[in-house]
Amino acid sequence: MTGRGALAAWLRRLGGLVLIAALIATLRSVGLLDPERLVRGVRNLGIFARGLFPPDPSTLPTLGGAMLETIQIAFAGTAIGFVLALPLALLACPVLFAPPVTASVKLVLALVRTVPALFWAIVFVVAVGLGPAAGTLAVALYSLGYLGKLLYETFDGVDPEVVEAVRSVGCSRAQLAQYAILPETANGIVALLLFMFEYNVRASSIMGFVGAGGIGFYLLGYIQLLRYDLLLSGLLLTLAVVILIDWLSGLVRRMFLIPVTSAAPAE
Amino acid sequence: MTADRRPALEASDLWFSYSARRPVLRGVSLTAAAGEITIVLGVSGSGKTTLLKLCKGLLGPQRGAVRVLGEPVVAGRRRRLDPGVAYIPQHLGLVRNFGVLDNVLTGALGRVAELPSLLRRLPADELRRAQELLERLGIGGKAAEKVYALSGGERQRVAIARALMQRPRLLLADEFVSQLDVLTSRDILTIVRGIAADGVAVVMTTHEMELADRYADTVIVLRDGEKVLDRRAQAETITDIALALRG
Repeated sequence: MTGRGALAAWLRRLGGLVLIAALIATLRSVGLLDPERLVRGVRNLGIFARGLFPPDPSTLPTLGGAMLETIQIAFAGTAIGFVLALPLALLACPVLFAPPVTASVKLVLALVRTVPALFWAIVFVVAVGLGPAAGTLAVALYSLGYLGKLLYETFDGVDPEVVEAVRSVGCSRAQLAQYAILPETANGIVALLLFMFEYNVRASSIMGFVGAGGIGFYLLGYIQLLRYDLLLSGLLLTLAVVILIDWLSGLVRRMFLIPVTSAAPAE
Repeated sequence: MTADRRPALEASDLWFSYSARRPVLRGVSLTAAAGEITIVLGVSGSGKTTLLKLCKGLLGPQRGAVRVLGEPVVAGRRRRLDPGVAYIPQHLGLVRNFGVLDNVLTGALGRVAELPSLLRRLPADELRRAQELLERLGIGGKAAEKVYALSGGERQRVAIARALMQRPRLLLADEFVSQLDVLTSRDILTIVRGIAADGVAVVMTTHEMELADRYADTVIVLRDGEKVLDRRAQAETITDIALALRG
C-alpha cells in the first residue's frame, strides 16, 4: 500500500471511530444509556400494552363524530391551502415571472413551512378560539407552505418543448399558464392534492391536542385518564379511516389520471 | 396591390453559445422567401435547433439579427412573441392532457381577447376555423380525442393545424418528420408543400438528405455551427450535400 493509500485508510478508520464516539455521547446525553431508566421504560410499555386490550368500543359514537370533524378539518384545510397555493406557485414559476418575484414568493412559502402545523394550531386557537375553525386554518396554512413548494416544483418540470410551442403562438403569460402549464401538470396537481389530503387527515387527528378540534382532543383525554382501551378504539378508528381514504385516493387516481408516457398506437 | 418583396425571413451573421467555451452558431446567415421551402441540413449538434429558436425569438443571438418581413425579432424569456411566425418543435410540443381540437385552438391565442380565453371561451369563428383545418388535414374525425391516443402521423397533423391556426407568414419546423416512417413523412411533407404554395415561407431542419433533395427549394447545410452550403436545390445537389455534411 502506498503512503497516500495508508493515510486514507487511517483517516477512514479515525472517521468511523469519531462517528461511533459521537453516537455514544448523544445517547448518553438524551438519557438512553441509563439502564435503570430503560428497564423502567420497558416495564411501563408492558403496562401500556396490557391497558390497550381489549379495546373499548363504548365511545365509538362520540369518536365517530370527532373523526368526521377531523376529516372536515383536513378537507377544508386542504382546499383553502390549495386555493392560496396555486397562484403563489404560478408566481414562483420562472417561465412566467422574473427572478425577483419567484425568489420572493419562494422565500414566503419557505417561511410558512418552517412553522409546524401544531404551532399554527396554537396560534389560531389564540386568534379564533378553541374548536375546528382553528384546526382548519392551521391545516390550511401548513398546506399552503407545502403545496406551494410542491406545485412550483411540478410546474418547473413541465416539458420545455410544450412551453416553447405554446409561447410561440404569441400568447400572454396568463394564457401560457392556462393553456400549457396547468393542463400539462394536471396529473401532478391531482396527485399532490390527494397526497396532501391523506397527510392532512393524519395531521388533523392531533390538532385536538391543543384544542383545535377533531379526534385528537379525545385521544389526549384518554391518555391523561390512563384509559388506553378507549385510546386503542380511537386509534383503530383513525387507522380504518386512513386506509379508506388511501383506497378512495387510489380510485380517484385511476379514474382521472392519464399515463405520463403513452406509446402511440401502431401506424 | 403590390406584392411584398421583402424576404419572409432574413437572419444575418448569427452567433450564439450556451456556454462561453464553444459557440453553437458562428456567423450563420440565411434568407427564406415566401412560398418556398428552405431545408436546413446538419448532423446532430450542428446548431439547427438553435438556429430555428433564434429565428422564432425563443433565444436571442449574442451577435447578429433576425428580421421577419423586415421587422426585427426581439427575443425575451417572458416577452410576447409574434404569432405570425409558427414554430413546431422536434417533439411537437402538444399539450398531452388536451384534446385535438383544444391543441389546435391554442394557435389562436395570440389574437383573441385575453379574459374570455382564460375562461376557455374562444370565439365561434376560431372554433370553426380549427375544425376546418382538421378536416383539411384529414383528421376531422379525431377532434374530440386526446393527443396521447393518436398515432405519430396524426400528432404531426395536429401540430401543423395548430401552426396554421396562427395564420403564419413563416413556419419553422424542427426535425418534425424525423420519427415517422417513409410513407407518413411523405404525406406530411406533401401537406407542408401545400402550405408553402399558399404563400407561407417554410424553414425546416432535418438530417435526412433525401428530404432536401425531394422537397427543398433552397438547401442550407450547417456543420459545427457554421454554414457550409447555401444554394438553390437542384437534381444533382445530393452529392454536394453529402460532401458538405461530411466535410
